Amino acid sequence: MLAYLQNIVVLFSINAILALTLNFIMGYAGIFSLAHAVFFGIGAYTAAFVALNYTDSLVLCMLAAMGLSAVISMALALPALRVRGEYFVAASLGLQMIGVTIFSEWKSVTGGLGGMVGIPSPVFLGYTFRSTTDFLILAGVILIGILVITSLLVRGSFGRSLMAIRDSESAAQAYGKSVNTVKTLSVAISAGLAALGGVLYAFYMSFVNVEVFTLDMSILLMAMVIIGGTGTLIGPVVGAAIVMALPAALTYLPFIPPGELGTIQQIIYGSAMVILMMYRPGGVVGARAKGKST
Amino acid sequence: MLYLQLLVNGIQTGALYALIAAGFSLIFGMTRIFHAAHGATFTIAGFVFYEFYAVLEWGLIPSVLACAAAAALFGVLLNRWVYVVIQRHEGSFFTVFAASFGAAIVVQNLIAIFFGKGMVTVSTPLSRSIELMPGLYIAPMAFIAVITAIICFALLHYLFTHTNMGVALRALGENPVLVDVFGLNPKSLGKYAFLIGSVLVVPAAILTAATSGLNPAMGHHVMMISIAATIVGGVGSLRGAAMAGLLFGLAENLSLAFFDPQWSEAVTFVILFLFIIFRPGGFYGRAIVS
Repeated sequence: MLAYLQNIVVLFSINAILALTLNFIMGYAGIFSLAHAVFFGIGAYTAAFVALNYTDSLVLCMLAAMGLSAVISMALALPALRVRGEYFVAASLGLQMIGVTIFSEWKSVTGGLGGMVGIPSPVFLGYTFRSTTDFLILAGVILIGILVITSLLVRGSFGRSLMAIRDSESAAQAYGKSVNTVKTLSVAISAGLAALGGVLYAFYMSFVNVEVFTLDMSILLMAMVIIGGTGTLIGPVVGAAIVMALPAALTYLPFIPPGELGTIQQIIYGSAMVILMMYRPGGVVGARAKGKST
Repeated sequence: MLYLQLLVNGIQTGALYALIAAGFSLIFGMTRIFHAAHGATFTIAGFVFYEFYAVLEWGLIPSVLACAAAAALFGVLLNRWVYVVIQRHEGSFFTVFAASFGAAIVVQNLIAIFFGKGMVTVSTPLSRSIELMPGLYIAPMAFIAVITAIICFALLHYLFTHTNMGVALRALGENPVLVDVFGLNPKSLGKYAFLIGSVLVVPAAILTAATSGLNPAMGHHVMMISIAATIVGGVGSLRGAAMAGLLFGLAENLSLAFFDPQWSEAVTFVILFLFIIFRPGGFYGRAIVS
């Protein structure tokens, strides 16, 4: 029972890390990305590749994953500089589909559909992370770290520039903000931090394959951010907790056939998205409806 | 011969994509609602047709009517009960998009519960391929698809250029405030945009059911093709959506000559990606303001 709970908490932390980083661009920069799972994937695959082929040092794997993810995020930043709103959503959708195809077809690096197995346990300062408890602590530390980093960034001048750009790009530019730099940086930060979630996932499962990095994951992450509250600090964490608690809670309802669990879960979060958007677009945590103009 | 075969397949797929994309483009162009649940309309139409035609055996005409009614009802009610409610307090594109996406997820899973997650096909004698030339196989369905698409676009063209409602709808796409000033009601015009746009998926859904088959998850693919074709074609341009639909059908099939089939979806999105970066207005689009 304890192991089961610990497992859920580790997976929750990974999801919360991803939701937090997605919220960083979605809620504060107004960049609605449907490609977040790609950066999760890049993190996981990079960590797996580095750990299997070069070194099992946690820090090196993390740096490699973050760096690569931030570099590839330029593919997302490029359309974000050109277009907004609907057009950007479509572009990110395209990136997500291309990403999944590359993950599943670049067999020499990603292992294709079979994925990569037997990823060694990471080592940090001579300590090897093996048990669930180790990962629980590691995930908790990373989650809190990212929470602190994003809250500092958002409260500082960078965050204010981001929000100014979200609310009115031309006004921000008129006040001398470098719109392109700020947007590009925010995408790179978000993607780099999301890669940490991927590193954690790869080492925790010691197995990666393309299944968890698909569009479904991106949508799930988006649902977490929306349900929790876009543009709030703690909202994505709450959203992640709600979305994660749902399948666990559903298993305790005796009248649902186990085969339909996934389906029912999706119906519930789909309807939650519709109803929240209709009556409480700010999410569970968000206090008021923001009149964003896009 | 391989290229010719792929070309023919591409035209058939492209005709269907053009119809699907036209519906989405019409709704998005006229009402500015990013109707991501358009794929769900398609899935509903396809499965209703399957249920009535193949399971209940009602015959072709009643099944088509039932299918059209289901598609129209879904589109119009979603607009009335969800989009209108959202737009009452806030017009943000993303709120509407998230709600629409949620609705699409719900529909996909409800259909999976009722019909199972597998593939269903409606088999007709017309979907069997005939060898026209050595190595060139074409099903009569391909001709039906192309002819249906041409008829639908001719009707749409007539509707938008020769009827008052069509002109009013185009005006709505250009400037909703001015439409209001001229004493027309943008809300009720929006209803008609949803009606027409949703009914447009019907021929494509039926033809897909009869050729490649339906599964509950295909709404995603349909949605992505519609979004991609609408943007590449230029928002609000029916002609553009049709051309882009055709382009994607051809690209998807012709790419088979060079890449593995798994790459065909990526090819579509590389095209979309390049368009968004280099020509975000699409083929015929108005210049967009970012």
